[in-house]
Amino acid sequence: MEQGASTITQALTSQTMIAAWILVAIAFVALGILVYVAIRSRTRRVDLEKAVQAFRSLDIEAFRNLVDSGEEAFLRNNLSPKKFREIKRQRAWAALIYAWEAGRAAAALAKIGQAAQRSSDAEIAAYGVQVAENAFRLRLQTIGACLHLLTEVVLPDLRSPSLPPLVDQYERTAETLFRLGRFSSRAQGLVRPKSA
Amino acid sequence: MNWHKVLSLVLWITPHVLLGVLVVVLCKRRLYREFPVFFAYVLYEIAQFILLFALYSIPGAGKQYAYAYCATLLLSIALRFGVIDEVSTDLFRESQLLKVSARRSLQCVTGLLLVVGVLLAVYAPGDNSGRWIAGVSVVNRGAAMVQCGLLLALLLFSRFLGLSWRRSTFGIALGLGILTSVDLAMFALRTAFASWVAVEFFNLLITGTYLVCVSIWIGYVLTLELKPVSLPVVPNDNDNAEVETWNRELRQLLKH
Repeated sequence: MEQGASTITQALTSQTMIAAWILVAIAFVALGILVYVAIRSRTRRVDLEKAVQAFRSLDIEAFRNLVDSGEEAFLRNNLSPKKFREIKRQRAWAALIYAWEAGRAAAALAKIGQAAQRSSDAEIAAYGVQVAENAFRLRLQTIGACLHLLTEVVLPDLRSPSLPPLVDQYERTAETLFRLGRFSSRAQGLVRPKSA
Repeated sequence: MNWHKVLSLVLWITPHVLLGVLVVVLCKRRLYREFPVFFAYVLYEIAQFILLFALYSIPGAGKQYAYAYCATLLLSIALRFGVIDEVSTDLFRESQLLKVSARRSLQCVTGLLLVVGVLLAVYAPGDNSGRWIAGVSVVNRGAAMVQCGLLLALLLFSRFLGLSWRRSTFGIALGLGILTSVDLAMFALRTAFASWVAVEFFNLLITGTYLVCVSIWIGYVLTLELKPVSLPVVPNDNDNAEVETWNRELRQLLKH
């Protein structure tokens, strides 16, 4: 009886020790992340112009082509199952990279939108709200799209439902961004001609 | 008086004196309007210190000190949750979309962390020989885990979504994050090592960390907010001349 009680106590103690050391490790990882973020936030400055260029350089037509269900049906009908799986994986992977980059560009654009939101000019601030909201929406949609495309990479035979309306959201975000750009150029002379 | 006792007292008193400085700064900058819960938390921590220090100074009031410590700690934990909520509200203030979706995600994270905290309390209850100290350590460990997880989730969300932190909000979150992560480690160790020497050593580490965190809060609150960055230069043409890089990358991917 006593032996049984001491075994239970030993088991509980070892469990507590394991839990304690795991939690210590988690705490130190968390501390490391916090210190890293704090240091980076002091040294890192967002290159807004670069962010806009990155956003514009995404070829949305190519992305649209990659996720087109008609194209997929054509490939499915004309290729052997093995070849189709191979091509589908490559197309899904390429589209995944597009979606990921679009998400990153959206995060950078959200910063532009937030910067514009704090402008003293009411109209620029209003455009800033639109840009930020669209960028946040796009960012959230790219997460869904990435998960969707990752499933296609892993399971190419799966007939999955259509992608979230990523392209529409991308175009909406781009439109508000360029409207903001045009407006701010009129207001503050911020737009630089391409040749400059 | 030995060096250990002097060090303990210095590390116990100094952060609370600095909290007084923080109250003055918060009042001068009128930041108590923007962060009322944080302001209340700081005031509460000072009041808690005065009460506990008074009980500590009275000989033979050890039991009363223990009860007061437990009672005040629970309210302190609750106020810290309030501060985290205030930080998240401030972070998502500019977006209607995020006010709903990101806060819902945070609620899910909170639920998940609470479940882990409860499971941990059930399956790794710790050393019961220290009675109330061990019990308080388990509660504090669970709370620290949830709070640390929430603050990390906030940092990751903001980075992922491209949210801009205000300096003061970031400072509050950073200080609280460091405090809760060290609390998590120390109270996890306390549940495993309940000896007097170990508890004293962990106390020194916790109070030392508290001093660092209060300094961080003062530092960030004193620093002026950065001026909004100027808007980027947006090229005014609508041609698609820059898509070539992507096309080239895509072609390369499809070639393989």
